[in-house]
Amino acid sequence: MARLRVARATPAASAGRARARQVFAGSLVSVAGLVGRPVQDTEGRFLGRLDDVVVRTEPGYPRVAGFVVRIGQRRSWLHAEDVQGLDQSALSLLGTRFDLTDVTRRPGEVQLKGDILDHQLLDIDGVRVVRASDLYLARISTWWHLVGVDVSWLTFLRRSLPGVRGRRPSPAQVVDWTSVQPFDVTTGRVHLTATHAGLKRLRAAELADLLEDLGRAERRALLETLDTDTAADALEEMQPEELAGLLRDAPAEQAAELLAEMERDEAAEALRDLDEPERAEILTSMPSEAADELRRLLAYEEDTTGGVMTTEVVAVHEDETVGAAIAALRGADGFPVFPTGVAVVDAHGRLVDEVSATELLGEPLERIVGELVGPPFPVTLSPDADLDELVEVITDNRGMSVIVVDDEHRPIGRVQADDVIDALVSHPRWPWQQRWKGSVS
Amino acid sequence: MEGLGLVSAGVDRVGIGRRRLVLMQLAALGAVVGPGLIAGLSDDDPAGITTYSVLGASYGYTLLWVLTVSTVALILFQDLGARIGVVTGQGLAGLIRQRYGARAGVTSIAALFLANVGTSAAEFAGIAAGCQIFHIPRYVSVPVTAVLVSVLVLRGGFRGIERVLLALSAVFLAYVGAGILAQPDWGAAARGLVVPNLPMTRDAIYICTATLGTTLAPWGLAFIQSYAVDKKLSPHHLRLLRIDVVTGAVLTGVIGFFVVVACAARLHARGVSITDASSAAAALEPLAGRLAGALFGVGLVGAALLAASILPLSTAYAVSDISGRPAALDDTWREAPLFYGSFAVVTVVGAGLVLLPGVSLVPILVGTQVLNAVLLLPLLAYMSGIARDRNLMGAFVAPRAVAASYWVVIVLVAACIIAMLALTVGG
Repeated sequence: MARLRVARATPAASAGRARARQVFAGSLVSVAGLVGRPVQDTEGRFLGRLDDVVVRTEPGYPRVAGFVVRIGQRRSWLHAEDVQGLDQSALSLLGTRFDLTDVTRRPGEVQLKGDILDHQLLDIDGVRVVRASDLYLARISTWWHLVGVDVSWLTFLRRSLPGVRGRRPSPAQVVDWTSVQPFDVTTGRVHLTATHAGLKRLRAAELADLLEDLGRAERRALLETLDTDTAADALEEMQPEELAGLLRDAPAEQAAELLAEMERDEAAEALRDLDEPERAEILTSMPSEAADELRRLLAYEEDTTGGVMTTEVVAVHEDETVGAAIAALRGADGFPVFPTGVAVVDAHGRLVDEVSATELLGEPLERIVGELVGPPFPVTLSPDADLDELVEVITDNRGMSVIVVDDEHRPIGRVQADDVIDALVSHPRWPWQQRWKGSVS
Repeated sequence: MEGLGLVSAGVDRVGIGRRRLVLMQLAALGAVVGPGLIAGLSDDDPAGITTYSVLGASYGYTLLWVLTVSTVALILFQDLGARIGVVTGQGLAGLIRQRYGARAGVTSIAALFLANVGTSAAEFAGIAAGCQIFHIPRYVSVPVTAVLVSVLVLRGGFRGIERVLLALSAVFLAYVGAGILAQPDWGAAARGLVVPNLPMTRDAIYICTATLGTTLAPWGLAFIQSYAVDKKLSPHHLRLLRIDVVTGAVLTGVIGFFVVVACAARLHARGVSITDASSAAAALEPLAGRLAGALFGVGLVGAALLAASILPLSTAYAVSDISGRPAALDDTWREAPLFYGSFAVVTVVGAGLVLLPGVSLVPILVGTQVLNAVLLLPLLAYMSGIARDRNLMGAFVAPRAVAASYWVVIVLVAACIIAMLALTVGG
């Protein structure tokens, strides 16, 4: 039942579809419509009104564990086992008596009205943030289970109608419950209910979009669930402004951990958007090596080559062997972006040439790297070169990256083509080229 | 050299120096300053200026206290809106839906939508009135600006001209000069500012309600909250944001005060009542002389354009927020029909109302603000409720005394509306 869409089709087909939808809707019970309905005993005597439906947090379609019933001023717990009949209009009990116990929030249980309905959810298959307009229950063998969430705007509007029309299920855009990641607030704090396996399959850019669309508490909860690697990748894809907001909001240790895991240039760019005290706090919580590199990058002006480069360069001495150079490249495994080649330097650390990884692989391991040196020599830039120069160099040489050297011609960084694209997008030349970030102001 | 890192960090701090620290704080303020100021200045939109003008021209200094009350209410609720946005990271409409359910959600989005359509009509009325001073008929000015504003906002060029429009609407600062030069009765003005004195007539209460509705506009509340959400501001920013909000609100109040004073001294004293833009512009004569009309016209159009660009966008955000599908301008029509649909309705209906034959502009400008006041009620009530919700606001939950002051404002607005209705029905 993944996603039921009402398609524009031939009249016959759409009539068939409408019939199918009616049958489908008839077998579902709307949670939003159920709330406030009377609870009766076997003889039809009124006991109280339904206040909430509680399900277990379990994979698949969670079973309804019980109900919260409002009797007078009191909220009481009603076991699913004590319920004989459930339909859209009422709930009837198995016997004439049942135990009135107070409602306690137990871990492993979610209150559908309190925690899920009208709250934000992640639709993992659709890769979007949605709000639950309604939740549908269906009977599977003996028990009622939560099977789907309706995310349509019309269902939301329908619920505000008076009487029976406001309660009747209107499955318009139903997302299968198994492809949804809800949040719950059992412990008084928002967190993810049983992490969805699908979260791991999302691409970094998709995760970034989700993080940008969530509310603050939900965003924090999602970020906490992701492992640092995945989170850092997603953060690299976020808009600089959004990223700064997210880092500012996270505890300094977490922000430091994430930034240390990100590409250095992206991390530096994010840090630039923070205020000085925030930046200092995060940098002191970071391993000193990463912090030092970031401080060095932050010293460069934002609109220069130094401001967009990454400091991760693999340099080998010209007397080393090809084997050693390959080993050095392998050592760069931890780099966020795998380098395309090694910088060959002389005894004073000055750049002699760049040898690509492909070239190294074609040579015998014991060959001396210095012997591979020869034209064409790499084009280099100083960290003070402005973005125009950088773009010109990259486009003229049709290269994937440029090595950045200091005054002594020692390699200090590298700019990848993707960083140039980023820089061009976020530093437009004229105000009207400014990328719209979907903000109200 | 143990503790090297610490020492060098210390050196860094010292090296920054006081001057740079101050500069950095100013820059931090600059990053946040905006929403409150924009919302504040946009409150001095054509509807606001016209309402304040009518208040001064018809009642002199006696109703100035309504402006005091409105400004205090504006500070209270803009601050609350900013705080809710920062703490929850959710827009107002979506949050009301989450906290109070579908009926409350539908009620509040309907109220916001209706109020924004009304205010949008008021902005186009302002454009029509401003252009009339330059002898441009409204059948030209309104459609042209409607298309212009939509294209500009949808193509993302709004940021480029935002400052220009802000500068244009700052023309209304001229009222400060005009008010002083008009040699008003300062004693009476000071008395009017603090002594509540209300003639129990339908018209007096009508204009009081409009003043409350134009100052504390529903769209302003939704705007400041979505701004805070959109910029992902964090609780560290709340202090700066509060400075911004208070500055914007006080500026609104001060400009409003001088509009009323200028009109009271210049128009009320001579028994002139406001029927169109040129009669309102006469209040600027002490400062601008023969240029008063032109000055007023330019300010009117600038302020109207600013608000007319924010309104449809702010409405579209609120609608897509409550539908649970956050949308933005980089989505296509097909991806976000609700977003663009609301945008179109607010613009088209707003402009269309002004073009109806036989519609006079001043009643639109004031009447829509009365509508604002009515539609404010549910929004203010839900906001106050959210302010007291510990689950949503955590450590930032409003203390009892502050929450009580929210309810005082709500009761005041409600009292105005009830009195107005009673006097209308009772004749």
